[in-house]
Amino acid sequence: MPEEATIVQSDQLISADTANAVSILHLYKSFGNNHVLIDFNLAIKKGESVVVLGKSGSGKSVLIKCIIGLLKPDKGTIAVFGKNVSEIKEEELDKLRAKVGFLFQSNALYDSMTVRENLEFPLRRHWIKVSQVEVNKMVLEALDDVGLAHTVDMMPVELSGGMRKRIALARTLILKPEIILYDEPTTGLDPITGKEIIDLMNDIQEKYNTTSLIISHDMNCVRMTSDRVVILVEGKCYANDTWDRLQQNKDPKVKQFFE
Amino acid sequence: MVLPAEIRSFLSEAGELSRFTGRFFSQAFRPRYELYEFTRQCYLIGYSSLPLIGLTSFIMGLVLTMQLRPSMVDYGVESELPSIVGIAIVREIGPVISALIFAGKIGSSIGAELGSMKVTEQIDAMEVSGTNPFKYLVVTRVFAATLMLPVLIILGDTISLYGSFLGVNIRGTTSSHLFWTQVIDSLAFSDVLPAFIKTYFFGFAVGIIGCYKGYNSSKGTEGVGRSANSAVVVASVMVFVIDLLAVQITDLLGLN
Amino acid sequence: MPRKKINTIKLGAFVLTGLLALVLLLYMIGKNQNLFGSTYVLKARFENIQGLVAGNNVRYAGIQTGTVKVINIVDDTTIEIVMLIEKRMLKIIRKNAVVSIGTDGFVGNKVVNISPARQRSDIAQEGDILLSKKSVATDDMLQLLSKTNTDISVIAAELKTTVQRINQSDALWSLLNDKSIPQNIRLAVANIRSATDKANNTVASFQAVASDIQQGKGSVGTLLKDTVFAANLNEAILKIKSVGGQADSLLYEINTMVAGIKEDKDNGNGTLHALFKDSGIVIKLNASLDNIQRGTDGFNQNMEALKHNFLFRGFFKKKAKQQEKENKLKNTASQ
Ligand SMILES: Nc1ncnc2c1ncn2[C@@H]1O[C@H](COP(=O)(O)OP(=O)(O)O)[C@@H](O)[C@H]1O
Ligand SMILES: [Mg+2]
Repeated sequence: MPEEATIVQSDQLISADTANAVSILHLYKSFGNNHVLIDFNLAIKKGESVVVLGKSGSGKSVLIKCIIGLLKPDKGTIAVFGKNVSEIKEEELDKLRAKVGFLFQSNALYDSMTVRENLEFPLRRHWIKVSQVEVNKMVLEALDDVGLAHTVDMMPVELSGGMRKRIALARTLILKPEIILYDEPTTGLDPITGKEIIDLMNDIQEKYNTTSLIISHDMNCVRMTSDRVVILVEGKCYANDTWDRLQQNKDPKVKQFFE
Repeated sequence: MVLPAEIRSFLSEAGELSRFTGRFFSQAFRPRYELYEFTRQCYLIGYSSLPLIGLTSFIMGLVLTMQLRPSMVDYGVESELPSIVGIAIVREIGPVISALIFAGKIGSSIGAELGSMKVTEQIDAMEVSGTNPFKYLVVTRVFAATLMLPVLIILGDTISLYGSFLGVNIRGTTSSHLFWTQVIDSLAFSDVLPAFIKTYFFGFAVGIIGCYKGYNSSKGTEGVGRSANSAVVVASVMVFVIDLLAVQITDLLGLN
Repeated sequence: MPRKKINTIKLGAFVLTGLLALVLLLYMIGKNQNLFGSTYVLKARFENIQGLVAGNNVRYAGIQTGTVKVINIVDDTTIEIVMLIEKRMLKIIRKNAVVSIGTDGFVGNKVVNISPARQRSDIAQEGDILLSKKSVATDDMLQLLSKTNTDISVIAAELKTTVQRINQSDALWSLLNDKSIPQNIRLAVANIRSATDKANNTVASFQAVASDIQQGKGSVGTLLKDTVFAANLNEAILKIKSVGGQADSLLYEINTMVAGIKEDKDNGNGTLHALFKDSGIVIKLNASLDNIQRGTDGFNQNMEALKHNFLFRGFFKKKAKQQEKENKLKNTASQ
């Protein structure tokens, strides 16, 4: 048994929906016989930075894809700003998604488009009424935020891995999202580039006061970005506490992440 | 009843493809309409394929004529060469060869493009960016393929007949006026229309199979290659299957 | 998001060219099938339509004027074809025009031929049923042509021998001195007569073929109609016919000659000698035979031309093979 402080009492954690940016209740998701998420519970307050820690293949990506509505949960509710993602209509979901940024594990830059077109894509697609001048301004501003304004007319293949990650981040930032979901932002990058990305994430957090859900198993990243850490084990929210306190934890399943 | 694994996987593949086609029809006629992307795909799928289809059609018309000539001479009906080549090209060879070339070029490129978009999460990214990727990627491509292949085939047929005209004139002399008169004399609506209508189905098959294979690509670059490859194979086979169905339907309707 | 800038002008040109090609093709075919121009209907009835189908062409005096619209079975022995004829023929085709079914080329599609009759008559109206004519099978005609050819060869050969006999005046002279001269001459005359008879028969059957051909009956008819071939054939027949006439007068002359010889013999006059010394008759006979020869040559040339015509090639090849076989059989039998 984990220690008292880390035991998750699901219902107690999830307070009034409106105060939370995201609240997940009794989430179940399986692919055939592969039960990935089993009764998962989590609440993220506005402005909070939560890291989900878990082994590879434990279902972290599945979890955030459920939050953004890319995957439909089998059971349970996911509320983003009080709206149940799996029940609202397509148009409403699109509106909600405009407020939620998603940084993909593989960046997911459109490799047939230039950097500018990549950044313009979410702007134009979300029925946001802006003039071309404004679009250009927003593109450059987002690129400035990640320090890559000079790449505006390059193709994604011409960029390095770290630059691509930053362009992808700029693309998530361009809509000024209130929540950003990061799927393993530092995986596959060298430590220095990883550090740059982490700094960037913190800058953004400060500048725009966004709510963040970060998925990672890079302990550096976890330590530097988290207000709170959630450990995902066997489809459940196994532990939920601050970095410092979890580091002291003696539970073997928690401890293995900190060795 | 226990079916062998190959048959089961074949049946489930067919079922999945049917579901995918059903999804296409349920999405295709509801807004939002991706008109700009559709036009772009028409350009990429249609216009950009013209040089390839034009070249193959030209060579085919020329070679077919030259290959047929000796036996036509043997039977003493050399003067019927334009009529016979005209019927062969317009009814069967033009549509099928062009559709196969089209399946090779467009089926594989759609399969690979959507496949790589799938495995690098670009499709998910689109969905997150307020775009229905099925409409944006699949519906536009399938419509573009369906509408562009007939245009390509008509132009291909014309080029092919021109090749045939040159072929006739290598060893003989036929004025272009006589050649075209003979070709058109030998054709009836019942030759042109079924051949033309089936090209829509060819285009649809190539588009939907390419999209299906790409859209359901499995993870990794190997999966992308496999989708591109099997898109071409399945689309080519489908072209022949549709051709077989078309000939039987025209036969039943008494149009042959 | 304009990625690879697409050129809508090129795309538009591409699509419009394709559509234009399609529309043009369909329009041309439609025009061919008389789907657009104004037409009227004429009908004809046959016992056997020889595989004619809807859509086949209708020709008036060889001019494309319409298509077959439908084929109705009226009863067990009557089949009615309904033809769509272009309006411009409304002033041309008369009620007594004759409809026949032929073939476009030797292996081509069936066509309906409407031929004008010699006599005047009212203009055919919408829905009129025209007269129809049973067509002759091509094979029969070829058989007939071939037979006629051999007949003429035989005649020519016979005439030639006769002439040679008469021509060799030495032999004739000695024969004339002989007692049995009148008998021999009579025999020669009989030979000539039977040859002439045969020639007459030949000419008659030839004329039948020629008239068939001229009326454009059957496939060979359509094939030959507009070629010089028919004219040549006719010329040849005329020549042969005139030779036949000459042969008749020759016969008369020989008859009188024979009578004269008889008289001379009876009277013991020397006119016989003088008669045969005068080579005029021989020359005449020679000229006649030359004429026949020429006529036959002309016909042979025509037959040769026919043989070279690719459509008939198969037929003659078959014939040649048969001949070869027979010859071989004969050879083996004689050995
Ligand atoms: N679309 C899918 N279809 C089937 N299985 C999936 C799918 N997506 C994820 N999975 C499975 O869910 C499990 C969790 O995957 P994922 O969330 O990507 O792991 P990670 O925690 O490393 O991000 C894996 O076992 C994977 O095989
Ligand atoms: Mg993952």
